[in-house]
This record gives sequence, structure tokens and C-alpha cells, in this order.
Amino acid sequence: MINSEYLKPADLQEALKFAHQFAGRARFAAGCTNILPDIHSGKLKECVLIDISDLKELMGISREDNFISLGSITTIQELLNSEIIRNEAPVLWEAASRFADPVVRNRATVGGNLAYGSPASDMSVPLLVLDAIVCLQSKEKGIREIPLRGFFTGPGKTVLSPSEIIVKLKFQSLPDFKFYYAKFGKRNAMAISVASLAVGARLGKTIDEARIALGALAPTPVRAWKTEEFLKGKRIESKVLEEASELLLSEINPISDIRASREYRLELARSMFFRALNQITS
Amino acid sequence: MTNLQVVTIFVNGRPIAAPVEAHESLLDFLRNKAGAVEVKCGCNQGDCGTCTVLFQGKAVKSCLVLALQAGGKEVKTIKGFAGDPLMEQLQESFVRNGAIQCGFCTPGMLITSYAFLQANPSPTREEIRTAISGNLCRCTGYKKIIDAIEEIAMKRSEKGPFRPSPSTYSEGQEEAKGNYLLLGGG
Amino acid sequence: MELKVIGKGVPKYDAWGKAKGEVIYADDFSMPGMLYGKVFRSSLPRAKILGINTSKAENLPGVHAVITYKDVPRNNLRARFGQGTEIGAQFEGLYRVLAEGEVRYYGEPIALIAAETLETAEKACDLIEVQYEPLPGVFDPLEAMQPDAPQIGEKQNNIASHFKIRKGDVEKGFSQSEVIVEGFYQVGYQDHAYLEPESGVAWVEDDGTIVIRVSSQVIEHFREVAEVLDLPHSKVRYIGTLIGGGFGGKEDITVESYLALLAWKTRRPVKLTYTRKESLLVHSKRHPYYMYYKTGASREGKILAVQAKLVSDAGSYAALSPWVLLYSTVDAVGPYNVENVKVDAYTVMTNTPITSAFRGFGAPQVNLAYESQMNELAKKLNMDPMELRRKNYLKQGETLASGYVYDRQVPLDLLAQKAWEALGPRKESTKPHTKIGRGLAVGMCSYGRLTFLHDTSRSYVRLELDGSALIRCGVPDVGGGQGHILAQIVSEELGVPLNLIKLHVTDSQLTPLAGTTTATRQLYMSGNATLKACRELKQRMLKKAAQLLGVKEEDLEVGEGRVFMRSDPSKYVALVPLINRMSGDGEELFVEAQFNAPFSDVPATEIIEGRTHPDFTFGAYAVEVEVDEGTGKVELRKIVGAFDVGKALNPILVEGQIEGGAVQGVGYALFEEMPIKEGIIQTPSLQEYLVPTSVDVPDVEPILVESGTGLGPYGAKGIGEPPIVGIAPAILNAIDDAVGVRITSLPATSEKVLMALKSLKRSK
Repeated sequence: MINSEYLKPADLQEALKFAHQFAGRARFAAGCTNILPDIHSGKLKECVLIDISDLKELMGISREDNFISLGSITTIQELLNSEIIRNEAPVLWEAASRFADPVVRNRATVGGNLAYGSPASDMSVPLLVLDAIVCLQSKEKGIREIPLRGFFTGPGKTVLSPSEIIVKLKFQSLPDFKFYYAKFGKRNAMAISVASLAVGARLGKTIDEARIALGALAPTPVRAWKTEEFLKGKRIESKVLEEASELLLSEINPISDIRASREYRLELARSMFFRALNQITS
Repeated sequence: MTNLQVVTIFVNGRPIAAPVEAHESLLDFLRNKAGAVEVKCGCNQGDCGTCTVLFQGKAVKSCLVLALQAGGKEVKTIKGFAGDPLMEQLQESFVRNGAIQCGFCTPGMLITSYAFLQANPSPTREEIRTAISGNLCRCTGYKKIIDAIEEIAMKRSEKGPFRPSPSTYSEGQEEAKGNYLLLGGG
Repeated sequence: MELKVIGKGVPKYDAWGKAKGEVIYADDFSMPGMLYGKVFRSSLPRAKILGINTSKAENLPGVHAVITYKDVPRNNLRARFGQGTEIGAQFEGLYRVLAEGEVRYYGEPIALIAAETLETAEKACDLIEVQYEPLPGVFDPLEAMQPDAPQIGEKQNNIASHFKIRKGDVEKGFSQSEVIVEGFYQVGYQDHAYLEPESGVAWVEDDGTIVIRVSSQVIEHFREVAEVLDLPHSKVRYIGTLIGGGFGGKEDITVESYLALLAWKTRRPVKLTYTRKESLLVHSKRHPYYMYYKTGASREGKILAVQAKLVSDAGSYAALSPWVLLYSTVDAVGPYNVENVKVDAYTVMTNTPITSAFRGFGAPQVNLAYESQMNELAKKLNMDPMELRRKNYLKQGETLASGYVYDRQVPLDLLAQKAWEALGPRKESTKPHTKIGRGLAVGMCSYGRLTFLHDTSRSYVRLELDGSALIRCGVPDVGGGQGHILAQIVSEELGVPLNLIKLHVTDSQLTPLAGTTTATRQLYMSGNATLKACRELKQRMLKKAAQLLGVKEEDLEVGEGRVFMRSDPSKYVALVPLINRMSGDGEELFVEAQFNAPFSDVPATEIIEGRTHPDFTFGAYAVEVEVDEGTGKVELRKIVGAFDVGKALNPILVEGQIEGGAVQGVGYALFEEMPIKEGIIQTPSLQEYLVPTSVDVPDVEPILVESGTGLGPYGAKGIGEPPIVGIAPAILNAIDDAVGVRITSLPATSEKVLMALKSLKRSK
């Protein structure tokens, strides 16, 4: 049956101590919107649940110089309530508004969503386009900062070591970028992404810089580097769009699963990408 | 090996203490230890919303909260709103507008609606529709639930008298509003 | 005469209790000393059971009983329908409690456990050892109906039932047709996905009676459970709870036999509740159907011939499959007048979970086919789809394909027009990547059970000395107000205010048996029984009042707490003194009345002819969709459902059925998919099996037409099931109108639509 333990650390240091002590079985529990279903389904049988939901060190949304900083246990609803996020990170705000459903948003956290490492992670896609940096901490490795683009290593896998916690995320607000976000699910709420896309572009006479992130279309959430490079300096016209979308499709590798076939996901990616570029450059 | 810890949770204002396993959910605690069977279990996985309660002032799915996380904290179920004017108005509106058929989604739906109206005093109908998108209903098709919530929202925000959508019908109304056609006998 | 309570949208008597969270549903109930039950299930879709070892499970501390088929007094029952009519001909009506020697489907119950905690019961499940000899399974009914297919049930042939319609001469009809349309349609499973999983508690009373408190649509199953336990019928009692959603999924026996066995074995109360996963994987579902249709018409649009072949997946135990098939056969042509009809319908066993009743009961599947055919025919004829339908609607006095003369109004044209008009002026899409389209579909759906089942219902009404009233009726309430509406009837007939009426419902021993809450029959049956009881009581009241006032009975009326003279209301007797006088004079202030539906004979052969149902409800849906050509996603902009409800006894409840049925139909049409692989359902959670959320549907606009021609009280027709018939083809027709693709299988997922669009583009 299930072998579980619960610990409530008084502060971040104690949380890290517990995680070190029980490395391998330790799970940081905040919103529990993935942990509890996994326990219930039998996916998680052995765990030491370290309750981080009240740790002040992991809370808060703030701005420091050019960077916006998000505590890892910031809930999705807190993102939606934040003026900073709404005004300065609209692509993240948009993704938050499509996340799960309003009740789950009261509990699910940004850090939890990233740490779970799902290729369909809804928070990863806007944060990748924002080139977020993840700040990690553990007893063994101390504090380290990893760019989100290097954080995911495979389906359900991240660079997190067994006793490491996400403390916060930071990213620059990009006021001169135009953004687009789209999530495609099988229904309009409580839907796991079948495909998701975020595009940010800085536009002059041509595309000065483009950032493209995709979710649920590869073993991890990805940035489409080649496509971004290709679009740099180009003017948006149908030939460019065609070539860009072909390149984009070569940078993803969707699977067929219970929600959609590979073929359909490729179609979705193409449609969503077209729409994104048209909207951004119009 | 069961590792039991005693937790005390304030359920509808009363402290309830009971031993729980680490992975036990708040839903299990409420139903099995606190006798709060008004909190329903439809799926136990966060997919249906019937277990929705008010936790630290927010609507949450109690199957997604560890009981131990609620230690020392306040949980309100549908039975914890006696004398609360907003909840009583909502309940009355649900009852009168036909928003309750089998009733299994109702406690969770009411709590979600309550929390929503508290935070959003003047919502549009579409915003109401979105607010309940985490609470499934298999019986009503959602329309009369949204009608019921909208009626209270409009009353509170003093937007003027609630005008029912063409096919809503209130008690005491003799005439149907053009959607009823009487064909003379058989 | 003006009705005072009937026709008003008064709140249900159970609504406040539900709003306050005070209703005790099945799983909310506990008893001292209660044990927890669990079902141990097969992990293979088809296998011989060579041995079952339960010793480890039995020896686990906290386990009180482990039961296998050997411990069940009667493990195999022949299905019996109706009240006392044993029907064995033509189909396999086997109800097997626990697997015996073989398993036919993944999840088939093999053993039952009762333990002190749920966790212990689950642990005990893991300790049961079964020796299987796996056998190759057949998972496709088209394969299973081949002569060389392995035998799944007790008949050598896996075809559990075959029904036919033979009307006129289809060959001749087709030869005269200037236009012919052929189509192949496929629909899959639908799960009821009621929010309350199957659940109940059972205990044994001191006299040995087994009491089962359960969420069930049919409390008459006490008879079968008694037979399973080899007890007299009088020793098993069902107490039905208010049900957290039924839709037909709680129509067959679900947990009751298991509860009875465990309680009987342990002599302790036992609770058994399915997990959602268990419910999705193993409980009965809507039948997948494969449907081939051929429709022939004249150039003017008169349909001359319809030929249909229907194959449904009966699952591994027939359950209600033959009846569902029969409904499909009767409804196969739809509400149209067609001279030449040939229908062959088969329901075929496979090694998959059981398929049985679900709102519509065989009508939605064929409705999808015949209403898609209509639009395809309209296209070929270059005719407006509404116009084509208008030329073919069944009319009063004409015969259904089954040969039954329909002797009442069929206002389909009016319903279709009203629904269509309510869509309003047509608007084009403002977005470059979407197209807007509209679709119409009509439907027919029976209400009342099959007439050869000789359906009856009973209700008891009693006046109290203070003018309040008591109703006792066995009616199970699934949330549609099945109990409440009886109070409205009593209030109307006897002048007792609603708040003075007490209802006792759903007890198989303490309330008169009202029959099943299925087949859209309760308002018709228990409503009429209650009406009958009221009118008898009313007669007695009028007679006494006439005596007291010295006037004629015909001049008197009942209302507002008195019996008064119609022409001079100042001449009256107040209800309370009247009742007390009647009591003092030794009159019976109570009536238990029985209402009988029309009776017909069991079909003698496979050919279905004549009357099969008491009546039908007709409806029409008009739908507007917006189709995204880049993703295939179908957004519903408007849904209008117009129904002839006969008489809306409570308009709010009637609207609720239309609005709810439409959305459940939207799920069927667009979202709900249950792929099955090697006999195992691949969507064991509500995250994978997707029912519509609030943001997936628009407000459904119901239009109620009251022809007054129903067989129910005050001319009401049934409205529980009909709203799920018509919505799916209306959506498919709207998709076709928007983007020119004909989807021929459900659900019309966005992937399916996009792939069809791509196909269309390629072919151009």
C-alpha cells in the first residue's frame, strides 16, 4: 500500500534539510494538484511529503530593476491577481487564464507545474518565451540558477536533483515585444494541452527578434531555435511563413496518445503558428 | 506501515481532531473523520469539483489538499454558512431558478459561486460561466445555475431588476414569454 | 377550468435539502459496526478460470468475508422483465453475479470482500490469486457475428437478438427512386458519468430481512436479489435514496447483489461504493452501433424506401441490449411516413463491458443516422433540408414503419420552424479562419415502457385531519422531480397547499411500487396513478360536500382549502371540517390507486409489427456552430430545442430536462469518446473521458409546445429522454453547412473534423 510521511518545515532551511535527509523519497508539497492524484492512482507509493505551502521564502511577486521575480509557490490565481504580471508579462497572464480551471488555480503553483516536468506544462511555455531563469536550492548544491530552457530533460524529467527545490523564477519584462499565446485542448476548461504555443517578437521593419515556445509537442516543452534564427531580419510574407512553419515542424516531435495523433498535433502547430505570426505582425 | 499524525482542523468553526495518514486528503478527513458528508466525492482526482470547500477563504477541491496541510486552519463546507446573507441568497436563487436537479454538484457549485461573487461583485454572464468551469454538472446543462448566480450578482451590484433570459420562468408568472405555444386539444 | 398549481414552476420539495447539503446520498450513510465492501475483478477480457485462491485474503486481519460464486445460492438468473412476465424467447437474459469458470470481460467481478476498513478490503483484493487460462477475445461485433467467431455467451451464435421490420417492398421502392443516398454511420460508447458513483449500504434485520439502502432507479430489483440469495421476495427490502444522477446507468442491478451477499454472510452492515475508475471501466454503457442506411426518394423529395442494417455491441452479457435494439428498430426510420421499409437489427456479444440502458435507449443512435441521411438526401435533391422533411413527416393517422397507426398530433413542422426561427438572423463569421453554419434535426423518442411488458404503477394518497396530505409512492427520484411532481398533482386536485404535503418515496415495502424510473415513464405512470387516487378521493369529498350543502356534485369545485360552488363561491365547506366529518362518518380518507399502461402481446417473431410503446414525444433542434478551419474545433454558438411536451406540469423542470439533455447530447456529439483496446477501456478517469464543462456549451434555449395530446396527467408527454435525441445530427448537419464535410461517426472531435477538411481539400 502507500508508505507516506508528512513533515512541516518551519522555514526553507529546514525544508532543505528534510529533503536532504529523505532524498529520493522526498516530495515538496504545495498545491498538491499533481501529488494527490498520483498517490491516488498508485503512481506514487513511497513519499515523504514536505509541506512548503506556508514558506514565506517561496512566496511573492516583485520587481527588482528589470527583472520580475516569482516565488515558486505563487499560485496560478495569484498570477492572475497581480498587476505586475498582467501589465508586464501578459503572455504569462494569458497562459494562467487558460490553466486547468478557476478552483484548481487557487492551489496549483508555478513551481509545482514546472517541477512536475510534463511536456504539456502550461506554465513552461510562456516562461520559456520570457527566457526565465529558475533559482534552485539544496543542501548539496547550494544555490544555483538554471535557464528554463535547460531545465527539462525528458517527459516528467528535469535537472532537479532529488533534494533540490525551486525557490523562485525570474525573467525580464519585455516591453518592446509583442506576444501571442494559444492553448489547444479537447475542451475549453479542465483540459490538458494537446498543443500550446507562445510567440514573442520585437518588430521593426522586419522581425528583429523572435521567440517561439511550444508545449505538448515534444518530449519536453521546447524553444524553436532554428525557426527563431530563420525569422530574424525577415519580413513577414507568405513565402517566409511557409518556410518558417516547415522549419518549426522539424523542431517538434509530437507523439500520438489518448488525446490526439501525431499528425493532428503537427497540423495544430502549423495552424497556431500561422495565426500567431499573422496576429503579431498585423 | 501506517504513520499516523493527529491533526486539528477547524471545520465550520469547530475544531475537529483526528489521526490521519500523511497522504490522506482533506476530503477523506471531512467525510470520514469530521462527519461532513455534505462534501461529496465524485472522482477523488480533482476532475469534477463536487468536493469543493472554502479553505483559507478560497474555493479549493478538497481531494487535492492534504489533511495535514489544513492543520490549525479553517475549512468551510456548505453547512458552515448559517446566517450568511450572500450564501442564503444564492441557495434561495438556486432553489427557485431550477438550478438543482440531482443536487450532487450543488454544495461544491454553491461554494465556488459564493467565493466568486465575493471576489467579483459585478460579473458578466460569461465571467460567471467561466467561474464554474471547474465544477461539472451532468443534469442541468449549466444554464439555470448561471441564471441563479447572475440574479444574485445583479441584485447585489444594483444593476437593476433581473430580467430572465427568454426561457426562464419564475414562480407566479402566469403567462409564458412567447416560448410556449398552446395548440388546441388533441 | 383554470389550473392553479399545475403549470407553475414551483421549486421541488427536495431542492432546499440539496442546497443546504442535508440530503444523505448513498455513500453518506453509515451504520454502527459497518464493514466496507470491495469487488475483486478480472484482469483479462476473456479467460477460463482454472482456480481461485482466497485463503490469504481471508486470513488478513480485519477481513470478515471473501465470497466467490460457490458461496452464492443462485449465481445465475434468467432476466425477467415486466411484472411477472417471464420472457425467455429469443435472447440471452443471463444475470451472473460472480464469474463462474470463465470471465467474459475485463473487470468482471470474481470475488467480494468485506473488511473493517476500506484499506484492508483493498489490501485483501491484492491477496486474491486467480489462475487464468487466457483465451482469444472478440472485441468487435462485426467480427463476433461471423459464423466462425468464438462463442462468448451461452448461445453458439453471438447474435443475442435480431429484430426486423418488413413494410411494403423496398426493392420496388428503390427501383422507383430517382435519387438514392447510402451512408455508413458509427457511434461509440457513452458513459453516464453521473457525479455520484454507484453506492449503497446493506444490513440484515433481526428477522433476517436484508435491507439495501441504495442509489437505484429500480427498487423492484429486490425480487432478483432475493432470488440470488434464495430468499422469499418478502425478505429483501430496497430503500432507494435520492440519486446523484442516473440516466439509465443505475437501472440494472449495480452494487445491490454484492451488498446483500456480504451483509448476509457477515451479519454486519456493509457499504460498497465504486471508485470513479471502477465505474468508468466496468459499469454498463450506451451501445456502440454500426449503421448502414440506404434511402431512396423521388425527385420531388418523397422518400420511397429506407433500408437499414443495424449492428450494436451487446457487450459480454446481454443485459438490456435486446430491448435497446428493439427501440432502435422501431425508431430506425424516424418520424417519417415511408411506404417501403426493410430493417435488420442485430445485437452482438463481444468480450467487452456490458452495454445497457442510457437516456434514449437506442433512439439517439438511429436518429444520428436517419437525420444525417435526410440532409444528404436534401443535398442531392438540391432541396432545403426543412422542406424535404416537411414532405415526409409522419402525420396524425399515418403508420410508423412498425405498422402502428399513430393517432395523435405530430407537430414536427411547427417544432422545426420554431426552433429554426429562434436562431435569429444569419451572421457570417468575422474571423478569417472560421465558418459559421446551421443545422436542423428532428427526433422521436418513446415514453412509457414497451407495451408488451404490461406496465403498471401504484400510488397512495391520504388526507390528514388538519387538511394536510400524505403521498406514498415507490418512485425513485433521479433529480428530475419525479417525486415532487406528484405533490403538485395532489395540490391541484385536492386543494392542499404544497407546503402541507408530505412525500414518502422509494421504499419497496413501505411505499406502493411505482415501477422503474426509466423509459421516461414516471410522470406518465406514477403521475396517472396519483391522479387516479386523487380523483377518487375528490369524488368522495364532492359527494359529502354536496350532501352537506344540498347541491349537485357537478356544481362543486375544490380549491384553496375548500369545496365551493362554482357559480356562487360563498357557498362552501372548508376542507378541514369536511375531512373530519368524512372521518367521523367512517369514510376512507385514503386511496391507493393503480394505473395500467396499454397492454400488447410479446412479439411472436423477429418481425416487429404493431404497437410497441404507449406514445412518442417529438422534438426538433436547431444549432449554430462556428468551425475553425485550421484546427477543426467546433464551437457551439446557439442551441434551440423545441419539444411538444403535451403539457408542462412544471415548466422549470421541463426546461431543465431539455437544457440538460441537450448538453449531455453535446457531450455525445463532440466530446465523449471511450476508445477500447483489446477489451480494455482506455479512459478510466474524468480527465480522459471528457464531459462538457460550463464553457463548452452556450445557453440552450428550450421552446415548449403544449399540444395537450399526451397520455400523462393533464395531457402531458414524457420529456426525460427525448432531449438527447436530435442534438447530435443537428450539430453534424451544422458542421456540414459550415465547411462542407459530412462527419459520419461520433464524437465529431476537432481532429476528426480537421482530417475530414484536409481530405476534402485534397480531393478538390
